[in-house]
Amino acid sequence: MRFTSWPVIVLAAASATSPAFAQPDKVYVLDQSTLTYHMSHPMHEVDGKSTSAKGKGICHAGQCDFLIAAPVKSFDSGDTNRDLHMLEATRGAQFPMVQVRTRFPQHEADNSTFYVDLEVQFAGQIAHYDHVAFQLTQQGNDVHIAGSVPATCSDFKIERPSFLTVPIKNEIPVRVDMTWRQQ
Amino acid sequence: MSRCRGSIARAACVFLLCCFLRPAYAQTFTLSGKVNDTAGHPIPGATVSAKSIASGKTYTARTNANGMYSILDLSSGDYQVWAAAGELQSPPIKVSLAAAQTTDLTLSPAPSAGENLPNAPPQQKSETNPASPSLSDLGFTTQQTQSNAQLQATLARRTEMLKIHQRLGIITTIPMAAALITGPMAKAKGKNGEVIHEPTDANLDLHVALGGLTTALYFTTAGYAIFAPRIPNNPKHGGIRWHEALAWVHGPGMVLTPVLGYMAYSQENSGEKPHGIAAQHGTVAYVTAIAYGTAIVAVSWPIHLKFWEKK
Repeated sequence: MRFTSWPVIVLAAASATSPAFAQPDKVYVLDQSTLTYHMSHPMHEVDGKSTSAKGKGICHAGQCDFLIAAPVKSFDSGDTNRDLHMLEATRGAQFPMVQVRTRFPQHEADNSTFYVDLEVQFAGQIAHYDHVAFQLTQQGNDVHIAGSVPATCSDFKIERPSFLTVPIKNEIPVRVDMTWRQQ
Repeated sequence: MSRCRGSIARAACVFLLCCFLRPAYAQTFTLSGKVNDTAGHPIPGATVSAKSIASGKTYTARTNANGMYSILDLSSGDYQVWAAAGELQSPPIKVSLAAAQTTDLTLSPAPSAGENLPNAPPQQKSETNPASPSLSDLGFTTQQTQSNAQLQATLARRTEMLKIHQRLGIITTIPMAAALITGPMAKAKGKNGEVIHEPTDANLDLHVALGGLTTALYFTTAGYAIFAPRIPNNPKHGGIRWHEALAWVHGPGMVLTPVLGYMAYSQENSGEKPHGIAAQHGTVAYVTAIAYGTAIVAVSWPIHLKFWEKK
């Protein structure tokens, strides 16, 4: 009796300490979001917004994997002509989605400011941004995340559009404002 | 003298050599193609890598929904190219890039560590969470995620034509303004019959030439916008609507102004003071120019002049 109970005790201890068992899968779905790119030119300051992003996050065995995607054509800068030019410059018809992937330890999300490495797939290219800071606030089942991705045109080999022969700035930071809901 | 001539010839040779060599260094190429599985099905989301054999630098791109990829701005030279998607991998192939090139890749189950191909790129241990979400989990429609190369080509053609439209449109403002300035100098008499300026042939000729140049540039500019490809299912909003609406003012104005100008010119030549509708030549020209200028501002809105700011 004493010997047969050992495996049970070991198994129970392993179950309790293994993160896979200790932390059941958590699934998050993007409830609301606003992604805003900022474009700067000596004669223009333009913001293009999209509220069409969709996302899903799965925390499994202490690691969280998140994917956020938005159609490139969903970004609206307030002018159809400019948006079509953006779609052309970013090869948006050929590569219609912008996708952001991130993986971080689950405990990272316990902090109000957390840092993640992002893989951004856009315009047929992949760029990596390390240690990007996001502000996190939790309200019940909802998690609100805000931050900015320091994207540039050259990261995605985008030829900078120009107006009056002056090109836009290389920096096109993307402001992220999202509310995730745990399922 | 002959030494001097020799030096000039040498300098000219160096200059010409530089002229010919410089573009060769700056030239870059695109490597594109399709990634399929062994059954010929396109693989979306596969990572395609091109490693420069000379520099050791690796460039990556991901395939779209149709399995198409493009790696842009590669210098000429030899590259090792391969693709990977999950457990699938293509054997690395050597590509010598000297022009834009299409290279299709076929994915098959990756060989185990013991059967690595010679010169194969280093295998990266997959750290993908088996439960990690994919694009298909997010619920986008196929229409949203589907690549459309034809639309991309149409957009490129449209942008190219509108760029010319923009440049020509701005150039047109120069003879237009000059034609407005020279207008009063080409007039014989003012409203009350007083002599404003003797309409010398030179004044008239200059005004007519500027008007003609403006008209020619204007309609060429308009042609580039009118014949630019239309993008379907794309309701217009923003400044472009004002830009297009104002064309209904300056378009007819650009037709009417030279006609009225010719009528006024004929009346003056026959010793009459311009009268009737011909007397409105100047007014129509000013209204046309104002509508034209406003149309440029409308499409450039919002304007924030920040030239004084440090970059």
